[in-house]
Amino acid sequence: MSRESFRRDINRAFDAMSGPASPALSPRVRSALSQPRPRNTGPLWMAGLAAGLIALIIVGVLVVSNFNRHQTSGVPAGVASPSPTTVATAAPSASPSALPSPISPAGPYTCAASDKTNPSAPLSAYINAVRTGTHAGYDQVTIQFSDGQPSEVQIVTQTSATFTESPRGQAVTLAGQDGILITIRGADGHTQYSGPTDFKTNYAVLVELRQVQDFEGTVQWALGLSHNACYAYTFLSNPTRLVVYIQQ
Amino acid sequence: MEQRPTAMERATHGDADSFAMLIDPLLQPAFRLAAVMLSDRTAAEDAVQEAAAKAWSKVSQLRGDESSLRPWFLSIVANECRMTRRRRWWSVVKMADVEAQRRTDDLSPEATSDLRRAVGRLSLDERLPLVLYFYLDLPLDEVARTLRVSPAAAKSRIYRAAKRLRADLTLEEVS
Repeated sequence: MSRESFRRDINRAFDAMSGPASPALSPRVRSALSQPRPRNTGPLWMAGLAAGLIALIIVGVLVVSNFNRHQTSGVPAGVASPSPTTVATAAPSASPSALPSPISPAGPYTCAASDKTNPSAPLSAYINAVRTGTHAGYDQVTIQFSDGQPSEVQIVTQTSATFTESPRGQAVTLAGQDGILITIRGADGHTQYSGPTDFKTNYAVLVELRQVQDFEGTVQWALGLSHNACYAYTFLSNPTRLVVYIQQ
Repeated sequence: MEQRPTAMERATHGDADSFAMLIDPLLQPAFRLAAVMLSDRTAAEDAVQEAAAKAWSKVSQLRGDESSLRPWFLSIVANECRMTRRRRWWSVVKMADVEAQRRTDDLSPEATSDLRRAVGRLSLDERLPLVLYFYLDLPLDEVARTLRVSPAAAKSRIYRAAKRLRADLTLEEVS
């Protein structure tokens, strides 16, 4: 097939598919053109959409950041940082400017003994960090767990700073005049925690924190207080940690 | 002596009559292009009408002299055909709805039908350069402007598409 015959053949095939346009096409087009010319608003429309999207993103960022601020404000500044660390620190976080508050970040303080159980606790809650801190209105102890809350936490106040070390049964006296004993059952304080077991803090009320038992699934931390003080406590998550606030 | 504005200038300044007068001779080739692209004469007329309206709304963007008008308008028609095909992607692609009425002198109906079927198997982007070059008989540089590619690329597209219809075609035959 020559070039010319190919052109002729393909044109015949196209002709068969097309044929001439209807005589009405030209008047149809003229009629369509006589309508008011639509304004070409494409770029304006796109600019409006883009501006709307940008505004939406800005509002979203503001809302999210505000939400995050509210979330973190539930945890006092300088408290137990959520970053999991196995190194305990005795360095206080100073924020002495605010006035003492009668209510802790965990709610009202109590001076009586309290007990909290957790039926869905793991076999053993492994302690992996212990921290202390001081803030306007309260000092703070944070005990962090790697695998969930322990089965029971008991907190008891006492009018001396003398405790019994277990299992040796020896009396140990901490700095301060009064004390609080935190007993954690269903816990392990030595497998994942290798930090200090005695913190001499000398805060306004918490002057010493010392581990007095880590035996048979029970861990006890004793607090030496400069004076008789009430407390509040709560569990926070991510990571799981027991936070005890001691009222100044 | 003040020079009268050309029809092109009047059209680009919003004179609908001038624009209608300019595109009137282009309606037939536009229809033939759309009819082959869509394999549907009714849809082809609709596409041409829609393309004319779009061209009118964008006429202020048209640059150059009257020689720019044909490739510019045909490229709008081709785009409209693509959009029409997308809109009815779910439908069965029809072959030409009107059987060829004219008989060919030196080609049997079977041969014509075979070539039509082969054309029908080409994609829209393959049909377009063939229609522009062979059927509408546009020069290569105008085919290139309609396709918005370089003349070399246009030639290559024509050759590739034609080769699907005639296996022994050589590039030299597309010139």
